[in-house]
Amino acid sequence: MHAALCIHQQLRMILRSYRTLARAPSSITPPSTCPPKRRRYAIQAGGAPIAEVFSARTKYIHKQRAAANIPQSRQVDYLRDEIAARLCDRLLDINRHFPRVLDFGANACNVARAFARPSPDLNDETGTKVTEPIGKRIGEIVCTETSPSLLYRDEHEPFNSEMAITREVLQNAEYLPYEPDSFDLVLSSQSLHWINDLPSVLTQINTCLKPDAPFLAAMSGGDTLYELRGSLQLAEQDRLGGIGTHISPLADVRDVGNLLSRAGFKLLTVDVDDIVVDYPDIFALMSDLQAMGEANAALRREKGGISRDVLLAAEGIYREMYGELGEDGGVRLPATFRTVYMIGWKEGGSTPRALERGTGEANLVDVLGGGGRIG
Amino acid sequence: MPGRTRPIENFAQAAAKCSAEGAVYGKCISANYQNVSKDMCAREFMVLKDCYLKAAGKKA
Repeated sequence: MHAALCIHQQLRMILRSYRTLARAPSSITPPSTCPPKRRRYAIQAGGAPIAEVFSARTKYIHKQRAAANIPQSRQVDYLRDEIAARLCDRLLDINRHFPRVLDFGANACNVARAFARPSPDLNDETGTKVTEPIGKRIGEIVCTETSPSLLYRDEHEPFNSEMAITREVLQNAEYLPYEPDSFDLVLSSQSLHWINDLPSVLTQINTCLKPDAPFLAAMSGGDTLYELRGSLQLAEQDRLGGIGTHISPLADVRDVGNLLSRAGFKLLTVDVDDIVVDYPDIFALMSDLQAMGEANAALRREKGGISRDVLLAAEGIYREMYGELGEDGGVRLPATFRTVYMIGWKEGGSTPRALERGTGEANLVDVLGGGGRIG
Repeated sequence: MPGRTRPIENFAQAAAKCSAEGAVYGKCISANYQNVSKDMCAREFMVLKDCYLKAAGKKA
């Protein structure tokens, strides 16, 4: 309270000094009640109360309902399986054995399924193809998910016998009930985009990793579903005269880098790729999203859903603005899923570190040739 | 759920029969998509909706 007051006073002092500078340059001294303090950058502290955007309960209901229809739920796993496979490909570069792995937000254990498949053409020095699945390098994988019916959906599938899978239902999607320094690898595929307090979750993940252990994740971000977002906005603007929340706010690539470094991860790698899926119409896209359990769960969404008028209008707009002519002559509606992949390492052990500031010995001017010399 | 068509599927089928009207409406919006106001394309939408209602009605 006292500190907040001090900051407020300092701010006012600065404002006043701007105002009075032109007219009467009087010396302004801070009041004696405020001790001189080192000024810092404004950052949001992890775990501080933050705005709640998504309803955890609604998401739980969506996932439970979606997984109740098992054949349909498996049919729409194409996106999660593809992203899980791409995430696992990034693991091929880390030549290690992982005795204990956490899959945070596992959905239907898609990552474990991707581990079990033979790894793609990978040539070692002798030129032979290595087709051993990544699962062979993994001791035990702990899959956590809030929705039990989604988590246990594929419990009896063949991939379960390939490795030791422990399934655990989380009571709270934003709380990891694990001991510090207990995992050799943490993965998360297609679930971080429903987390309200991402800084806190990432910090918890960092805590439960062992020192010098990696965290790999894939989440929907940026321009995901921009076609649907745009069409619905235009349709609502024309039909209702205002727009509502239908597509979640998503983190962008540059946000992810900040979030990871704020959570204490080192040696960050962040990249994106787009998966474009063609749908026959907007209704197929929306029912697939629903069957994935990825329907809108924003707290401030319209309770009644989208009206038929808006849906009909959005279909016409989507088809006209984004529709592409398919090979069979019909119009297909492309939907972009932009996935942000992130890799971060917990500091400790032999993690390479950046050198101290000012310890560089080579002059950059010599290296760069002095073309753009400043000063 | 065999034997039961979801409402969204009926909706999709009826809307698919009005692709010409939908295209006219879509063109009207996309011609001025940076400055959309309420009922900008009300006339085109009503044509589309009439077609949809007709298509949906015939099925039932």
